Amino acid sequence: MALIRTFHEHHDNSDCCQLSSGRARPVGGPAARDCGGPTVTGERLLVPVSESSTLRNTVAYAVRNAVEGENRYDAVHFVSPASRRIAGEEYVESARELLDRVEVWAGEDLGEDDPDLTVETALIGVDAYLFSPGDYVELLAGYAEDNGIGSVLLDPEFNPGQNTPLLPPLEAELDGAGFSVETAPVERGTRRERLVRRASLGQFVLLAGLSYGFYLLIGGSLAAFDLVTGAISAGIVATVLWRISLTGPVRPGRLLARIARMLVYTPYLLYEIVVANLAIAYVVLHPSLPIDPEVVEFDAAVWSELPVTTLANSITLTPGTLTVDVTRQHFVVHTLTEGARDDLLDGGLERAVRFVFYGRAAARGPGPRERGDDGGEDS
Amino acid sequence: MTLIADALLAAAAAFIVLSVVIVYRIVRGPTMQDRVIAVNVVGTNTVVIIALFAAALDSPGVLDIALVYALLNFLMSIAISKFTVERGGVM
Amino acid sequence: MVSLYEAAVLALLAGGVFFGIVAAVGLLRMPDLYTRAHAASKADTLGSGLSLAAAAVVFGSGLPTVKTVLLLVFLFITNPTAAHAISRAAADQGIEPWTTEDGGDDG
Repeated sequence: MALIRTFHEHHDNSDCCQLSSGRARPVGGPAARDCGGPTVTGERLLVPVSESSTLRNTVAYAVRNAVEGENRYDAVHFVSPASRRIAGEEYVESARELLDRVEVWAGEDLGEDDPDLTVETALIGVDAYLFSPGDYVELLAGYAEDNGIGSVLLDPEFNPGQNTPLLPPLEAELDGAGFSVETAPVERGTRRERLVRRASLGQFVLLAGLSYGFYLLIGGSLAAFDLVTGAISAGIVATVLWRISLTGPVRPGRLLARIARMLVYTPYLLYEIVVANLAIAYVVLHPSLPIDPEVVEFDAAVWSELPVTTLANSITLTPGTLTVDVTRQHFVVHTLTEGARDDLLDGGLERAVRFVFYGRAAARGPGPRERGDDGGEDS
Repeated sequence: MTLIADALLAAAAAFIVLSVVIVYRIVRGPTMQDRVIAVNVVGTNTVVIIALFAAALDSPGVLDIALVYALLNFLMSIAISKFTVERGGVM
Repeated sequence: MVSLYEAAVLALLAGGVFFGIVAAVGLLRMPDLYTRAHAASKADTLGSGLSLAAAAVVFGSGLPTVKTVLLLVFLFITNPTAAHAISRAAADQGIEPWTTEDGGDDG
């Protein structure tokens, strides 16, 4: 049976095999400490992994390639870069689970017959600061050196906990650091989440009701013909889409409360929009075009899809700010002027959105700046 | 009523002129996304123009066209953004 | 003599055209994609919103007004979403935002 070894706990405690800091060791430099790991024999393959839609296929490809491919490998190391300092304890925990899964998959792929292959998994960079592709390359290069690895296989969707596309620069830098780099030729999935979800009857009724109302409104008549065709259309729409359009169970009481608070929110938003537009008009029509654009990132204290969407759209509509990307609650916002940045980080809008969705108590919470998030400015 | 009708038509004419001006950005680019944004603005202007005509000529039926056009315009922006990205990962 | 009703419609139309102009000028003058998206998503939304409000006032009351308001709400939701989708696509393709250090003229 093939040898499968895990370094989870081992590496987690940043002992000798663990790079305590991605910046501590220069790329290609001599290893600061030798950890007496496995002795260097034959070729080894390094596969950095993160949660991705193509991970399963990449693991299969790595194992198959190592056993049957042109250049055989004695060992495959699956490593997951996860920084507790950047992404938080939760992310590290999920990376650990991911590695467990990878290990099981690799075991499945190896099968019963006994190919001469060692599979190892390790969690790396737990205590490192991982920002740029360079940091990842340093971390991976350090690990590769400690374990005598010369080849790297990349998952096409490899993207550890960040939004910025990491793969092209990573590939180039690893190549520059003297590794032989290959990207696994696996299908790229486009869908990361399941589109169809579990749903209840409440959602069906709500969606059908909304469709019916919209149909009658556009039709503009309540004749028998319209009532019947409208009911049929609404039925079709709701049947096809009820598990896609609405998320979460419907609670009529809370829905009404939200709608009421939304009505309070709208005038505030309209006021903000007018102010925003006057500011934009001033900037655009000013002869010298006084802009100082910059991208800021922050984590908003709102959860679940609808509030995040509302906040993202509100940000886009208000003073000099444009939402570029949102993952969960991490916002990447392009700001046009200095003043716009300050307003955004003071969190007035965010409080307003929290008020709409969670009530008055939640609105009093701190804004991004008070939470110690200074925008983590990105170049 | 004619003052109002004239004003509505004048505003529609202004939006038409603006749309023609924006065509410069569509032609010039330089990136695909620049063009999409410009086309999106022209589309929004078109919706407004249709609605203004509907009001000026007092023919509410035209509003349905504006509604459909607004829907199509939004879908176009989303579809183009989705498919200009290599990974197809937007939305 | 201009009545209050006429004055309201004229003011809304003037505002709408003004912000339409701001959107067009911004689209032409701004140095890069993201700043242009600012102009497009904000000024154009308010410009079209004011114009549609004028149309709604002219229709008075009844179904056409409801439809115009629906159109208005729809634009307010979709315009920022579209701008967001486009700029996200641009960010995904690795288009770097323009900063003051880049200087120079518009491209």
